[in-house]
Amino acid sequence: MGNPVPINAMFDGDFVTQLVLVEDTDTMPQVAEKVAYHVVGRRLPPRDAPMHVRYEGQRVPDDRTVTSAGIGPLHNVYVGYDAKGQS
Amino acid sequence: MSKLKREEWYDIYRDVNWTPRYVDHEAIFPEWWSGTGKIPLEAWAEWDEPYKVSYSEYVVTQREKEASAFAVKSALKRSTIFDKLDEGWKSVSKEHYGATSLVEYMAVLAELRMARFGLAGAWRHMATFGALDEIRHAQLDLLFAHEFIPKDPQFDWAQKAYHTNEWGVVAARALFDGLMSNPSAVDTAIQLPFTFETGFTNLQFVGLSADAMESGDYNFANMISSVQTDEARHAQQGHPTMQLLMEHDPKRAQWLVDKTFWLSARLFAILTGPGMDYYTPLEHRKQSFKEFMEEWIVNQYARTLKDFGLREPWYWDEFMRGLETWHHSLHLGVWFWRPTVWWKPQAGISKAERAWLNDKYPNWEQQFGPIWDQLIANVNAGRIDKTLPETLPWLCETCNLPIGTAGAPGHAHHPVRAYSMNYGGRMHHFCSKPCRQIWWEDKDTLHQDTIIMRLLTGQIQPPTVPGILGYMGLTPEVMGDDAYGYAWAKEYVTDTLRQVAKEAAAAGSVPAK
Repeated sequence: MGNPVPINAMFDGDFVTQLVLVEDTDTMPQVAEKVAYHVVGRRLPPRDAPMHVRYEGQRVPDDRTVTSAGIGPLHNVYVGYDAKGQS
Repeated sequence: MSKLKREEWYDIYRDVNWTPRYVDHEAIFPEWWSGTGKIPLEAWAEWDEPYKVSYSEYVVTQREKEASAFAVKSALKRSTIFDKLDEGWKSVSKEHYGATSLVEYMAVLAELRMARFGLAGAWRHMATFGALDEIRHAQLDLLFAHEFIPKDPQFDWAQKAYHTNEWGVVAARALFDGLMSNPSAVDTAIQLPFTFETGFTNLQFVGLSADAMESGDYNFANMISSVQTDEARHAQQGHPTMQLLMEHDPKRAQWLVDKTFWLSARLFAILTGPGMDYYTPLEHRKQSFKEFMEEWIVNQYARTLKDFGLREPWYWDEFMRGLETWHHSLHLGVWFWRPTVWWKPQAGISKAERAWLNDKYPNWEQQFGPIWDQLIANVNAGRIDKTLPETLPWLCETCNLPIGTAGAPGHAHHPVRAYSMNYGGRMHHFCSKPCRQIWWEDKDTLHQDTIIMRLLTGQIQPPTVPGILGYMGLTPEVMGDDAYGYAWAKEYVTDTLRQVAKEAAAAGSVPAK
């Protein structure tokens, strides 16, 4: 189990940014899942599409962890569904 | 003995001043309380209030106002009007009482600061009446709300709200600390009477009074109309102070107006916007929040600014665009995080209400419709748990409101995002560029931590949803819930079935029809 990292998370299409607790060892799919938990199925409908994480304007590869992506406490992180044909 | 005419004695009476011989001027009027800045001391002799009143005249008028307010209250005491009021409308009055009662009391202190440290005798005279006004307002609010506590404990928050750390109260406290508790007498005069009272109290007292009358809450309408007559008088003490400041330090005047107007507009978007466009029953709505803001705030206050040679604030276009979205976004937030408020938010999203919203706000459906559709689907699927929060929205470090609510989903100019800054070894987040700029200029005097920062620094224990609600002082009998027990969502049941089929198809279980 890693160390907790509180992030300011935004899910595409939602209306607020939220406090989400991730761990420094989480990979990007795990980060996306933790952010989506507070939005998808609550305020936005689920979609049959993979999700991705964006940090400092760039899409972060799935195999990166919170630490290796440089994501720190209180940082802004964006999560969204892939557009059609995007991977 | 014949009496002198008022104009023969008024100036002597209200300009009483002493020439100190035993202490310095600075000892009586310290600069950090008086705040004259670049205005030369001798210039204060020019201060002239537009509304003249003597103490005896004041007492006679106030007595009449009190008699009138209490006559209506007394006449309605045994009526069943309260029991027949719409639950959504009751939420408007609960929100008002909690958010306003003790702010009126803070305003007593602000008026007393001007009454003691104002540099013109005439100003001190006027501010003394202002302090008496504000005592009356605090007492009226507390007494009128108190009557309803046996019927509904949420009315107890008229007294309780400002003694808690409820997030909306923290937001209001942050604004009013900056407006009233820490500034000098001059800054107070520009921020409170000139900007807040001249610009915004009309919104709460005139606009809500009209909706209250329509909704049948005559007691509330009568009480806030009585308050507004005082506001209209004592707000005028800002004008002569502004005149002097514009003459000697226009840059300071412009900044004080700009920041106060922005922060007041943000707060009123949550204080009054949902009440006008969602809680007031559809058939009783007089104007939309946007229409009211345009008529009473934008047109009137913009004229006042022009009259004094002030420019429109630098963010004016952003503020105007915000009239289309801010309060919708804040309403959605209040409804979703409803256990964190002391009233029962009325969703206001029945099909008829939705048509009204789309008529008044042409982008409403595109920006907010999809989120409400999901919430409605969850209600109709019996998944109320999915319409409730398990975390907090991130809060702006200046206005303390949720980040995203100064924009809207898919907004071309103001998308949902944080405006951030790395300073002092950590990230700071804001809802908008103006809030970020105000924080940067005023950071040394802003001392209210947001609920998010209190949570992250261990001030809220346990750091769970129940722990947060406990920290905010919300006990089960007063925490907010949907005003109508979700009955309004039933007319969407067919749409919900369609949505469920679509979601199942998206999840790959069955094909979408």
